[in-house]
Amino acid sequence: MGNLRRIVLDVLKPLEPNIVDLVRKISTASGVEGVNITIYEIDHHVENAKITVEGEQLSYQDLHDLIVENGGAVHSIDEVAAGKRTVEEVVTHQD
Amino acid sequence: MKNNRLRWASISEFLEEIQTYNKIVGIAEIARRYFAMNAFDGVLTTIGVLAGNYLAGVRDLSIPIKTGVATSIAMGISGLWGAYLTETAERQRELAELEKVSLIDQTETSIGRASRFAVIVVSIVDGIAPALAAMIVLIPLFLGPVIGNAILSYGLAAGLALLCLFGLGMFLGKVSEKNLIGFGLKTLLAGLVAILINFLLGAE
Repeated sequence: MGNLRRIVLDVLKPLEPNIVDLVRKISTASGVEGVNITIYEIDHHVENAKITVEGEQLSYQDLHDLIVENGGAVHSIDEVAAGKRTVEEVVTHQD
Repeated sequence: MKNNRLRWASISEFLEEIQTYNKIVGIAEIARRYFAMNAFDGVLTTIGVLAGNYLAGVRDLSIPIKTGVATSIAMGISGLWGAYLTETAERQRELAELEKVSLIDQTETSIGRASRFAVIVVSIVDGIAPALAAMIVLIPLFLGPVIGNAILSYGLAAGLALLCLFGLGMFLGKVSEKNLIGFGLKTLLAGLVAILINFLLGAE
């Protein structure tokens, strides 16, 4: 099976643990080389986060479990990339 | 993926987990509040016990010691049980509220574990604080045979109680980052008022 290089997730998470703690935890997961968490909506108890993870050999299941373990719910997988190199989304005329 | 429930490879990992729990539910803040509130209760209740015995003319110190110890045990049990039930109810409500908005079962997440851990810590603090405070105030009575004078033991216990109250006030002052002495004097005043009222009511 091909190696996952990038996963972008849309996550609904509680305000605590905050994203500083969460980003550190995700960064120590196996295969992760870099991670970014961006909050795009905040509610009373929860916030919506876009979590971008990059690495050579990512495990989606591990990331999913780690997010759930910290009280979050993965709403959708918004972007993935796999293979020998990371291929960016191509802008076409239709876009 | 590591499931970190009670699976700590080292003490530092355990402490890190506790820190995470503290960040999630703010255990230290609640425990601090309970500690101050209940230690205050413990000292004032013991002042009442001692004043009652003194005014009733009890000079055999084994009586206020037994009464004081029994009271401190009762206060400890009351604190433990009360905090356990109150905190459990409060935490469960908070968790249910979070589950409603996040649409996931939080029982086995770090948040669920932090909530349960908070209940245990807060209950223990709530149980120990009043009992410990009461026992500290009773020290001059335990040392009665060494001191050799029952009235002096009562006096020293009252002094120690006021000192404890002042210390608690300073602790609260430190928490609020305001005037330490001011807070100390406010709690000290509570002790003096308790002693004064007891003496006014007990005066023949």
